[in-house]
Amino acid sequence: MNAKLKETILNPLFKGNPITVLVLGICSSLAVTVTMKGALVMALSVIVVTGISSLILSLLRKTIPGRVRIIVQLVVVAMMVILVDQILKSFEATYAIDKQLSVYIGLIITNCIVMGRIEAFALGNKPWPSFLDGVANGAGYGLILLIVAFFRELLGSGTLFGIDILNRFGYVPNNLVILPPFALILLGCIVWVQRSIQKDLQEK
Amino acid sequence: MNTNNNLYTVIYTSVIVIVVAALLAFVSQSLKSRQDANEKADTISQMLTAAGYASKAELGKLGNTAVLDKYAAEIEKAFVIDLEGNELRTLGIEREGIEVYSPKQLKRQNYNIKGGPNKTGDPELPVFLFKNGRTVVPIYGAGLWGPIWGYISFEKDLGTIGGAYFDHESETAGLGAKIKDDPSFQAEFIGEKADFADANVFDIVKGGAPKDAEGKSVVDNKIDAITGATMTSNGLDAAIDTWLAAYSAWFSANAPKGCDKPCCSGEDHKCEEE
Amino acid sequence: MEYLSLFVKSIFVDNMIFAYFLGMCSFLAVSKNVKTAAGLGVAVIFVLLITLPVNYLLNTYVLAPDALIEGVDLSFLSFIIFIAVIAAIVQIVEMVVEKYAPELYSQLGIFLPLIAVNCAILGGSLFMQQRDFLNIGEATVYALGSGLGWFLAIVSLAAIREKMSYSNVPAALKGLGITFITVGLMGIAFMTFMGIAL
Repeated sequence: MNAKLKETILNPLFKGNPITVLVLGICSSLAVTVTMKGALVMALSVIVVTGISSLILSLLRKTIPGRVRIIVQLVVVAMMVILVDQILKSFEATYAIDKQLSVYIGLIITNCIVMGRIEAFALGNKPWPSFLDGVANGAGYGLILLIVAFFRELLGSGTLFGIDILNRFGYVPNNLVILPPFALILLGCIVWVQRSIQKDLQEK
Repeated sequence: MNTNNNLYTVIYTSVIVIVVAALLAFVSQSLKSRQDANEKADTISQMLTAAGYASKAELGKLGNTAVLDKYAAEIEKAFVIDLEGNELRTLGIEREGIEVYSPKQLKRQNYNIKGGPNKTGDPELPVFLFKNGRTVVPIYGAGLWGPIWGYISFEKDLGTIGGAYFDHESETAGLGAKIKDDPSFQAEFIGEKADFADANVFDIVKGGAPKDAEGKSVVDNKIDAITGATMTSNGLDAAIDTWLAAYSAWFSANAPKGCDKPCCSGEDHKCEEE
Repeated sequence: MEYLSLFVKSIFVDNMIFAYFLGMCSFLAVSKNVKTAAGLGVAVIFVLLITLPVNYLLNTYVLAPDALIEGVDLSFLSFIIFIAVIAAIVQIVEMVVEKYAPELYSQLGIFLPLIAVNCAILGGSLFMQQRDFLNIGEATVYALGSGLGWFLAIVSLAAIREKMSYSNVPAALKGLGITFITVGLMGIAFMTFMGIAL
């Protein structure tokens, strides 16, 4: 059982990464990878939402009527997202970041990772493993987000977490890196690296 | 248990929806005052930045309470005017009753200035006079992706710009977002002049504003647009023009005489003091 | 003219995929051949066209501050209402189409459940709320435009991917990797529309 739990936690981080392997949750999130700070908050929000919604739905799993399954899932996920949004807005430290993430916080609702893990895991497993699965998938997602944000902020603004790194050496920030399409190209490269290492993931 | 029964499905769904709605209503109500306080402090620190008291980052570090304290200490007078420049009512400036215009209120006034189906009444425009002699007025408009707004402060001659701060909801980070994040863009406004006689009160010029021999921007009503953010720059330009034009009656009526342009070259003026 | 410029803008400039990355999951998963891609594209247009005006009415007359009862701001409920409306409408559309147009259902049917969680649909409603359109006409035009933009994007990607299956792509980049990069390059191409003033 312990080995299985460990697998549940470690798998989503690399071998079964929700973004680069399962192709889930690319939608809303790439736009927040311009800065490390935004990516970090988005990652933490997604971890909280996936973890707790998986937990709640796993607790409810035996009682949910089959026909309205999707709606019930969406309502629970939406509730979690609104809670996160409201809480971020309420603290001085996070208010500015919530403003920056604007509609993308709302789009966590339709982030396929959340729904995907609920459908694939939480509805068939006990609460504790479901919670861990949700958290781990959120973390796997956050990991990719942070890698992308690292390159985009460093090359696009010459800073990391807003602290000047390259500009003092006369670096001219590259505007192309900041534009949305570059996030996808970067993601393609991450997939490339990952699949060069793990040959079994390669497509024919 | 048969979970596919019709009655069960209906009852189950209703219970879930009611529980969730009640919980959210409770959370939203109990956090509302904190959220409003955050928004208010944010607005106030934007005005203080525009008036030149401190940078936005410094004010952010101070925390909400200190920002409100500073505002209460530095504000001279705040009031609302109409399009003819008549003073309609005053806004609260006491520490416990500070009244400012939130972005939502600015949005409503923006509709009122521009007219059209969303107009709810005649424009009521706020003016904030600070103890350092600067006058702060807001602007509001549309950028590339969403609303942009901000504050511009004027020196005592009511023509020379003393500072500016802009904010936005969803401009492209690193490009359009520079109106907020790039202090050097906001600094370009300092020392320039708004020309209230012109319909184009202030210009953000793509391709460069007139420069003197040393490459410094000539004192006029033109500054450089942001490279790579044409739509945001155009939106900001339109927002500034629309709002300053709405204030022009008040500005012309209250500007010290003889100081219009060129400023401070005649004999009798108050603006010589600074 | 206003409507026309909004329409063109929402197809090209504010393209759901290339400018906002919305609806990426199904965009990448269902773009292997042109025929299925077109099917999903049509379904997205269809659902956007119904949900956006409905959500517009709800937003204006129920959720907006002071809309329902003076002094009551229900906007914090908007996410949940929007997504519930979308899920419900998708369900209803599925049932209606199945009953009255079985042929259309056999073509669209499999895509409809996918659409409830397509970010482009919820994104459309959230952008509608953020931009406050003046009337329901604008909201409808915006829905049609962004739906068409999504359709255009997925069909062109599918066409490229069909051709690409004959190309010699590095093994590790095959499939997902090269698709990401292709979409990125298409996005850069679409950025040229941004400078157009409408």
